[in-house]
Amino acid sequence: MNLKLREELREDLMFDLESERRVLSSMLHSEDACIEAYSLLSTSDFYSPKHAAVFELIISLFEREIHPTYVEMLKEAHSLGLLTNPQDIEELKYIAEHYIDDENIKYWIKKVKDKSKLRKFEAFLRKNYQVLGEQQEIDVEQTLMAAEEELTNLTALEIDDWIDTPEDMANLGYNEVERRFLRFKEIKEKHKGVIPLDGLPTGFDNLNHITLGYKPGDLIILGAQTGHGKTAFALHTAKAIAVDNKKNILYLNTEMSREQIALRWGSILSGIEHDRIRSGDINETELSIIVNGYSRLRESGFYSYPCPNLTPEKTISIARKFKAQKDIQMMIVDYIGRMDKLDMRLQEWQILEQIVKAQKMLAQNLKIAVMCLVQLNPDGTLQGAKRMKNECDLMLKLSPISREELEENEELKKYLNPNYYIFIEKNRDGRSGVRIPVNFDLQKQTMKDAERVAI
Amino acid sequence: MDLYKEKIKKLYDETASLIVRLSFEGKLSSEEMRFLLNLLDFVILKRGNFEIVSTLKKWISKYDGSETDEIIKATLLAVDFNNSDSIRFNMELIRELLEVKG
Repeated sequence: MNLKLREELREDLMFDLESERRVLSSMLHSEDACIEAYSLLSTSDFYSPKHAAVFELIISLFEREIHPTYVEMLKEAHSLGLLTNPQDIEELKYIAEHYIDDENIKYWIKKVKDKSKLRKFEAFLRKNYQVLGEQQEIDVEQTLMAAEEELTNLTALEIDDWIDTPEDMANLGYNEVERRFLRFKEIKEKHKGVIPLDGLPTGFDNLNHITLGYKPGDLIILGAQTGHGKTAFALHTAKAIAVDNKKNILYLNTEMSREQIALRWGSILSGIEHDRIRSGDINETELSIIVNGYSRLRESGFYSYPCPNLTPEKTISIARKFKAQKDIQMMIVDYIGRMDKLDMRLQEWQILEQIVKAQKMLAQNLKIAVMCLVQLNPDGTLQGAKRMKNECDLMLKLSPISREELEENEELKKYLNPNYYIFIEKNRDGRSGVRIPVNFDLQKQTMKDAERVAI
Repeated sequence: MDLYKEKIKKLYDETASLIVRLSFEGKLSSEEMRFLLNLLDFVILKRGNFEIVSTLKKWISKYDGSETDEIIKATLLAVDFNNSDSIRFNMELIRELLEVKG
């Protein structure tokens, strides 16, 4: 009687098939639910092998950018030979019927996850009970420590979290030094002193040299005043990464329409004035140059998402989706001052701080570089700058060079037509406080390193 | 979910399951099953062009198992529901074939 009761209790405790069905059903109806479940659950979190198989099926459709509807799931299951009898169809239908509104998806995911953790805890207890029963001589300290470590992993850490043991840290350090040593040798022998990048190209040789590129997990903040090249800088970065190097990036724009972004590309890739392209004042030769430019864009890795009412939550969800489906290496948010306020009681700087924190976490979790564009005050300062500076890995400011400075600064006279500075305010991995003179052609929307005057 | 949407969802789930079940029972070929499932997604979820439904209704009302009907069926099975040009082209073809049938 007692034993039976315990079995009943266990059955109820160790899994929750209804929650599993609700998560799966929601994934069949809503893309947002798919994105959430994709990033928070894994196949092993499902108790029912059938549910685990359905989860894998839905994820495989989602990764291939096929909207995982009930019909698509049936087609996929049929073509893979997973439907072996009419009962299988009834079971799939039963899952689809457990629909929930996707706003509740996190609640049901948590329930599935909790049960999964509980099963892991049970396995932990069983294993340790077995250890006690089987071993004649037990090193109590060692056994307890091993159990404690395992239990800590179960309670405190998520799947992707990792604690470095002394051995891990020593190995990591040695591998990093060895990698750098070999790279240095290669630079001297093969590249004749030009340092290869550690991350994605910045689009400026001087900035590449100082930063070694935008690295996975990096949060880059670029500040500029209104009308002083924030979007031009973002698209210049996108060109270097997505067009010239064919790496996938996601560009979120809160201000401009699809047409405006597309027209800017025409100018950037053809070198023809933006105003003339906008008004259509071009000749046939120029038209063919522009067509040629767009064919480069067609083959690039540039994914654009114009989104006037962007929220921090939405950036996370979109970035997760594009990481899963397109393996993006970088996301650019142009710009964060335009993001919707979720809590009207907060001050502007508090909201910006929250957004920046969320973007840093996103960069680290997805192992991508995230660039946030922010607006500078008219005096060149940034609201909440100190807090933002703490969060980011690289803080850049783009500002015009005044006429007086151009006339008086001897260093600037060594360059051809510099008109803007990129100021490195913070650089976690290298030198900061450096001003890089660049040339920004407002009409052609292009940027480049200011060339040195030939001596 | 409101009552109307709930009914549509139930209809969608039931119809999709029925189509696969009929294929299981050998009453539909794999191609026929795929076509009907795609049509279901196209009409209910993608809210696609309902002209396709009225053309199909017209065909059913004139269906007599003739050679033209076989050609219409083969044309239907070749429709790519992810390609609007394919849908337009094949529907035009079917309408012409239905006119030939009289």
